[in-house]
Amino acid sequence: MNQNQQQQASDGRHDDDAALSDFLASLMDYTPTIPDELVEHYLAKSGFQCPDVRLIRLVAVATQKFVSEVASDALQQCKARQAAVVKDKRDKQQKDKRLILTMEDLSRSLREYGVNVKHQDYFADSPSTGVDPASRDE
Amino acid sequence: MSDGGRESERGPEKPAPQRKPGGEEFARAFVKVAVAQICESEGFQSFQQSALETLSDVTVRYICDIGKTAHVYANQAGRTESNVFDIIQGLEDLGLPQGFLGASDIEHCLASSGTVRELAQYVGESEQIPFAYSLPQFPVIKDRKLTPSFLQIGEEPPGEHIPAWLPAFPDPGTYAQSSTPNDRTTELKMAKIEQENQHRKPERSLLNLNQWLASNELEGPSSVDAGDAAKAKQAAAKAKQAAESNPFLAAPLQYGEKEVSPVLLPAKTKLSNDTTTGNPIVKYHGMDNHVSVLEAFAPNIEAMKSGLRDSEEGHKKVLLNTRPTVQFKLGSGKKYLGSMLDSSPQNKSFEVTESWFGRLNEKDDKKRRAEQILKESMGNLQELDHL
Repeated sequence: MNQNQQQQASDGRHDDDAALSDFLASLMDYTPTIPDELVEHYLAKSGFQCPDVRLIRLVAVATQKFVSEVASDALQQCKARQAAVVKDKRDKQQKDKRLILTMEDLSRSLREYGVNVKHQDYFADSPSTGVDPASRDE
Repeated sequence: MSDGGRESERGPEKPAPQRKPGGEEFARAFVKVAVAQICESEGFQSFQQSALETLSDVTVRYICDIGKTAHVYANQAGRTESNVFDIIQGLEDLGLPQGFLGASDIEHCLASSGTVRELAQYVGESEQIPFAYSLPQFPVIKDRKLTPSFLQIGEEPPGEHIPAWLPAFPDPGTYAQSSTPNDRTTELKMAKIEQENQHRKPERSLLNLNQWLASNELEGPSSVDAGDAAKAKQAAAKAKQAAESNPFLAAPLQYGEKEVSPVLLPAKTKLSNDTTTGNPIVKYHGMDNHVSVLEAFAPNIEAMKSGLRDSEEGHKKVLLNTRPTVQFKLGSGKKYLGSMLDSSPQNKSFEVTESWFGRLNEKDDKKRRAEQILKESMGNLQELDHL
């Protein structure tokens, strides 16, 4: 019994090892959006030392995953907010069409990831940010 | 990441001029591009500038945190280089607020970590969006020229307390103590001395000329007393001595014994100038000038004053005495001429007497030449004094 369990576990570990090495090998074919040089620079800045390119890819992919998760959360926030605005029927024609990454949505989504971002009151973005120049004229 | 409050404290936008221009600004700009690309792939059409800045800040912080935690775990395991498991461990740490598959299992193997599986899933699902630009390797590190060590040069370190692997000392000339301030002062002094020497050169030649003139004139009107001639010879000898040494230094030595005075030089030229014009009235102006020149020389030694007195006395005598005495003065003046600096009273008395007698045109070429040279040299002397 014990031996079987151990054998199964070791098999599983072997599988895991194989899966991990496969995954790392597949990273060589995958080009993350965040360039390797950038990641390498920041890793070197933080004291990380490793000649393996796959690990840098791994970090790049992890970072890309993190950013895209945050961005998708913010997108959901944005869509939900716009839906609420539509109910008020205020400026709906202007804002319906465009999906804008705003500080408000971003701070909400980042809060779920443990990052506490507060929009500074005196730090004002132009209200027409991201709006089409054509619609801005109206 | 967990301490996100600091992010907001710093503010999404830092003032650019405070940052050092270098790789940091460059990298930040590329992070922004990458983040914007990811956001675009998620479906965003536009963004607020501050939101993009914030998100790229967070991204940079995320990368750095992965690096830090992986580094810490590698160090904890006694390694300097991180491996996959350090990174996975770091990813798990950073993923804790979100949670991941199998996070509750503390016995799980890192190779089968939920974060890795999620990553693999993400890689499989997401489409590849390559970065918009091709990025060069940065920051560019210039090859630094290291100073070769004592070992590499093959030298022995100057002291036993200096290990041989340390960089060699530069040339001793570059660090040996040098007396820079002293050098400067001495240089100044040297420059001054040189200047004075240059001014003295014409002076000395003038003195030689005076001596030559004096000897010539002594030969000419030989009607002078033998005693006077002897005196003149003595004076000439002294003048030679003085001329050989520094005339200005020699003056105070002679001060006690003789009326050899450098002061009379200016007076003479002035007077001779006036007398060449031939007006007896101008002579008085000449006197005034003569006094002023003396005042200019005032800081000099008292020898001058004595000389001045002598010359003034000579003038009075010239003015007051009868003709024969005046002629006698001529003779005595020649004696003074013999002395290097003292040719002036002789010249002066000559001119005066000539003006008395109305024999203005009798000057010989020698005198004219002498006067010219004296004038020039006097100009030099006055310049010297103004300096």
